[in-house]
Amino acid sequence: MTRPFILSASIAEATFAVPETAAPILQAAEAAGLDLLVMGRSGERPFDAQVLLAWAAPMTTRLGLVATVPASNAHPFHVARALSAIDFLTAGRTGWSVIPEGAEDGMAEDMVGAARALWDGWGSDTLILDKASGRYLDAAKVHASNYEGPFFKVAGPVNAMRPPLGHPLLVVDGDDPIAISDADLALIDEDGAAPTATKRLLKVSPDADVASLITRFEAGEIDGVHLTLTNAAAQLPEIGARFTSLVEGRAHEAGDLRRRLGLPIPQTASNQPGGAVIPENA
Amino acid sequence: MMEKQIHLWAFLQGIGFFPSGWMHERARPEGVFSMDYYARVARLAEQGCFDAIVFGDQLQSRGAGGRTPERMAMPTLDPVSLLAAMAAVTDHVGLVATVSTSYNTAEMLAERFGAMERISGGRAGWNIVTTAHPATAPNFGEDDLPPKDERYRRAKEVVAKACELWAAMDREGPMLPQGRPVLVQAGQSPDGRDFAARTAEAIFCPAANIEAGIDFRNDLRSRVADVGRNPDGVRIMPGLSCVLGGSEEEARAAHTAILDLADDALAIEYLSESLGCDLTAFDPLGMIPVETILDQTILPRADIARAVTPAQEKGTPLGAFAANFMRHPRGHNVFLGTPEQMADMMIEWRDAGACDGFTLQPSYMPGGLEDFVEQVVPILQKRGRLRTEYPGTTLRETLGLSAREAVTA
Repeated sequence: MTRPFILSASIAEATFAVPETAAPILQAAEAAGLDLLVMGRSGERPFDAQVLLAWAAPMTTRLGLVATVPASNAHPFHVARALSAIDFLTAGRTGWSVIPEGAEDGMAEDMVGAARALWDGWGSDTLILDKASGRYLDAAKVHASNYEGPFFKVAGPVNAMRPPLGHPLLVVDGDDPIAISDADLALIDEDGAAPTATKRLLKVSPDADVASLITRFEAGEIDGVHLTLTNAAAQLPEIGARFTSLVEGRAHEAGDLRRRLGLPIPQTASNQPGGAVIPENA
Repeated sequence: MMEKQIHLWAFLQGIGFFPSGWMHERARPEGVFSMDYYARVARLAEQGCFDAIVFGDQLQSRGAGGRTPERMAMPTLDPVSLLAAMAAVTDHVGLVATVSTSYNTAEMLAERFGAMERISGGRAGWNIVTTAHPATAPNFGEDDLPPKDERYRRAKEVVAKACELWAAMDREGPMLPQGRPVLVQAGQSPDGRDFAARTAEAIFCPAANIEAGIDFRNDLRSRVADVGRNPDGVRIMPGLSCVLGGSEEEARAAHTAILDLADDALAIEYLSESLGCDLTAFDPLGMIPVETILDQTILPRADIARAVTPAQEKGTPLGAFAANFMRHPRGHNVFLGTPEQMADMMIEWRDAGACDGFTLQPSYMPGGLEDFVEQVVPILQKRGRLRTEYPGTTLRETLGLSAREAVTA
């Protein structure tokens, strides 16, 4: 697979919280060829991003949906459950970005560790769903998480299911980073220290020079760009027009985000790795 | 004068009311992991003019004694997320999510339900629970649940605080179409009933027969009046499951067939979870191991002793006891008969003051909901007991309550 140029944007407009505004913005984001739409951002919490992510699931077909989660006002058990449900509703298009703002040092990292442990309590092939034999699942593939960090102690596993992505994509914002060495995506500034992550998206303005971005992408310096939307309805069509050559040919690609964006499949110590597989023809 | 209208709620958590329901040929156990399924059942509920879709919730792992059941369907996907997605594919049906006051802050709750309220255009409802299962505590860093009176004290505080936060959100905008979500409650104990009387606009309860329904509704309405609220501002919605057939015999046979899908192993898993003690290693043909149960259960011992001791004294084998226990899940009314008979029964309950409507718990999904919507809904509509279109857009309008109401916390 050729290496994809990743096009990402964030939205934190309070008006996005009502359907009349959100529906056309989601359509515009898909039409612009965006790979990821990050809902909310550091310093701005105009809505509960997890709820909007779930609402956006049936309104979109290929857009990756990323929820900002404030470490100061969330519990990993609830977050792990919500993201598991949303990842099923989107068939593997979910991500999250934990915002450390307002939380004690280390709390955001602890939340990531706890949520991963909760998801890893389930193997990818736990479900059987065999009506004839009456076996719903293979209990040997379910394990307590027994996670214990500095802030969160969680028995687990998550009482939902391992998400289709295994773990929803973890996005780290270089402006408000968390100390996680294996994030999937980092949003980086031109000069700022870059958090370690599998893929690096450069924060640019919508009028950035596309040719030079392509050069830097081809040199392996960046894996894509991230735009901070301030007036999404007006900006998204322009972004689509300017960046169309970068995302062309991928606009209608379906399938889970890890495969599409070339991101690693989460491994687990005790369970079959990867994302949950739901048996068909039950 | 217009005949008394029947309100309908659809309780859609899981794959159906009966533990064996997921194995029914018209059940789709894989569906509960896909958006297509939720879109389909949400539209079905709206087609049937249901007031609302309700999801229950649990915050503990299923099973008992650390053993995960293999034969019970157990997806407990986050109800708020499922309902938010269903909001996007419907226009009128209300969306009621069960969320605990013991394991969320008022801030978390206000944000989540405020967002639901806005994005659904005023169709959000909150089923307020205090969480009673002891296995929940270790998922939140604690060894034990807070005591019951403490949980209810906290629930009152959290609801009052959440209402303040919604008022602030409403002022800041975008507005919350109902002012705040509809408040729903399901407590059965005296503490729970008092809390419901002060707080709830709709109440979900089990009522195995019409007398139980009348008693419960009368009790709640008098408690509501005692705290200075109008009893007509509260909808009482007992649970109702059903198996339909072309004749009573057919329905009974279909019911037996659903129960027969369960083997002893499933029945014992179900019993184990209900008793909070793993019994799966015991011989189904042997005696009920009451001493082990009372020794190991994490649930209140006196309640469990009342449930098992009489059967042990009669010499009922474990497997037979478990199978019988599973026939009557959670004390709800299970109707067996023709669609006409079911409509008659529902009208009889409504006219007798046993309820304001029903919380339908389909025996398997989505087939059980399809049957009800296709076969019973048209009869209720023809008899003038069920609306044929929604009166407005918000859940409060659908419930026939005042459009924006302040809480009496």
